[in-house]
Amino acid sequence: MTTFSLFPPSPEQRRRRAVLAVAAQVLFVLLVAAAGYAVSHYGRTVALRTSPVDPRDLLRGDYVSLNYDISQVPRRLWRGEAEPRRRRPVYVELQPTAAGYYAAAAVYPAEPATLPTGHVVLRGWISNAWRQGLQLRYGLERYYVPENTGLGLQRQPLLVRVSIAPWGQSRITGIEKLPAAASPR
Amino acid sequence: MSQQFLDTEGPGWVERGIISTEQLQQLRALYPAQPRAIGLLPLLGSILVGLSALSLVAANWQDLPEALRLALLIGALMAAYAGGEYFLARGQRGLGIGLVSLGLLLFGAGIVLTSQLYQLIGYDVTGLLAWVVAGVVLTYVYQSRTLLLLTVFIGALAQGYSAGSLSSYSYATAALTAGGLGYYWWRRPDGFCGVVLATGLLWQSALLIDFLHIKITWFFVPAMLIYAVGDWQPDRPAARAWQAPPLVAAFLFMLGLAMFGEAGSYTDRLRPQLVGFLGALLLVLLVSVAGKRARGRLASTADWLLLLPGYYFPGGLPLAVAALVVLYAYSGSVLYRGFREQAPERVNLGTVLFVLTTMVAYFKLTWDFLNKSLFFLLGGLLLLGLSWYLRRQARALPPSDQPPTPQS
Repeated sequence: MTTFSLFPPSPEQRRRRAVLAVAAQVLFVLLVAAAGYAVSHYGRTVALRTSPVDPRDLLRGDYVSLNYDISQVPRRLWRGEAEPRRRRPVYVELQPTAAGYYAAAAVYPAEPATLPTGHVVLRGWISNAWRQGLQLRYGLERYYVPENTGLGLQRQPLLVRVSIAPWGQSRITGIEKLPAAASPR
Repeated sequence: MSQQFLDTEGPGWVERGIISTEQLQQLRALYPAQPRAIGLLPLLGSILVGLSALSLVAANWQDLPEALRLALLIGALMAAYAGGEYFLARGQRGLGIGLVSLGLLLFGAGIVLTSQLYQLIGYDVTGLLAWVVAGVVLTYVYQSRTLLLLTVFIGALAQGYSAGSLSSYSYATAALTAGGLGYYWWRRPDGFCGVVLATGLLWQSALLIDFLHIKITWFFVPAMLIYAVGDWQPDRPAARAWQAPPLVAAFLFMLGLAMFGEAGSYTDRLRPQLVGFLGALLLVLLVSVAGKRARGRLASTADWLLLLPGYYFPGGLPLAVAALVVLYAYSGSVLYRGFREQAPERVNLGTVLFVLTTMVAYFKLTWDFLNKSLFFLLGGLLLLGLSWYLRRQARALPPSDQPPTPQS
């Protein structure tokens, strides 16, 4: 075996390292895919209600925009000592409601140490803060759908199922129409 | 000396009897034709091909089954790398590296599209960080400038995404760019790569300052640290290229202060805590000067004139004047060194900087008071006088005082 050399590697070293580097990349892409399955398998699934968005920008490209009930929360839920600042990462405590979906219970600047049973934490960012409330972003505002099936989804409230993995990733695992009869909050 | 130069000039020398035909042949043998450097072309080509493939697949993406999409991504990735190896093995380095670059781009696309495939949301920059790691590794494996340049952009993108969308700073990305790519540049110094890498590092420094919510003048501590690294680099031309971006940033900042410093409304955002900031800057100065001493370039210490902290002056006119003094000191020093070392590019650069500073000073200070023709007359006379004085100075220098020719 030749000595380890960075500048420059011998041709056989180069080839071997190239093969390793490419194999690692393929493995990483497969791991991302595996993480997708793992999140829905090991994660806690919560249902979140969305309200219809402005019908003019319903479908942008291949995804629908989702406007969650928990995207706007009243200011009194903020649990930080400092004023909430735009773009700041936050931890949103969610609690189940009688209607079957989850609602925001509190917004923390850092991960809360203890939670009441049944409650879960979803991470997000403050996209806007004003006197009465907070506008939050979860990174879950887009749902990629097969072509021409998204349009019908949005004129009414939807129930979006989100899986939250213990290690922090999350993904949308399902989306269904909420019967219009289901009463708002 | 280039082959082309010998081709055009050589026959003339033979005709005049300066050299013989044999000697011309020997000279030609001494300077063999360089393989044509294609440089950016394979990079741009691979980007375009990558984009076209991406848009084609993206158009039908949603209709394909998940497994097929994943297979397509991985297949394209492996094909690009295999193609790269194929052409490299056949000595076609440009094409080979182009395909490897394409493979690297496809890896990034693979991470993003796979996350999207599973509607997966991450809260850190792990995916993009893996992309940067792959770029750094491939830069070393293939010893390639193209891959280094591409990885600088990937690093800038990853850090930009981290700061913009995740509101966090990826120290790992910064460390990989500075340590991984920086070390490669250190061992394989190169002017263009130096400029691009230093600019990429400045970008990441700026994002760090923004993320930490500290006074923006702190930016010049990492910026001058980048500059100081150049002082230790033995390859002089590459080091100068590497040092250009931090100097340009410092000059533009001072120019901005001279132009808009008067407003005073934002000057409180410029003044970091005095002792801590100046201490840090002084420490960097010491590192820089030690490097200059070790490499025999002490004359370039004048670059540090740009870092005179004029912004501690109260806002308004004193601040603008202090910034102008700093700018004059710097451009004057560039001019002076240019004449002293008989370096025409530096004289030209110094002249441009001097004129720029003078223009700002004029518009700032005298536009309102002076007759316009007198205004330009004075400016012209000032420059002519300066040029005359500097020329006289340069002529008066004994030849022995000339600096040694730049070492390699």
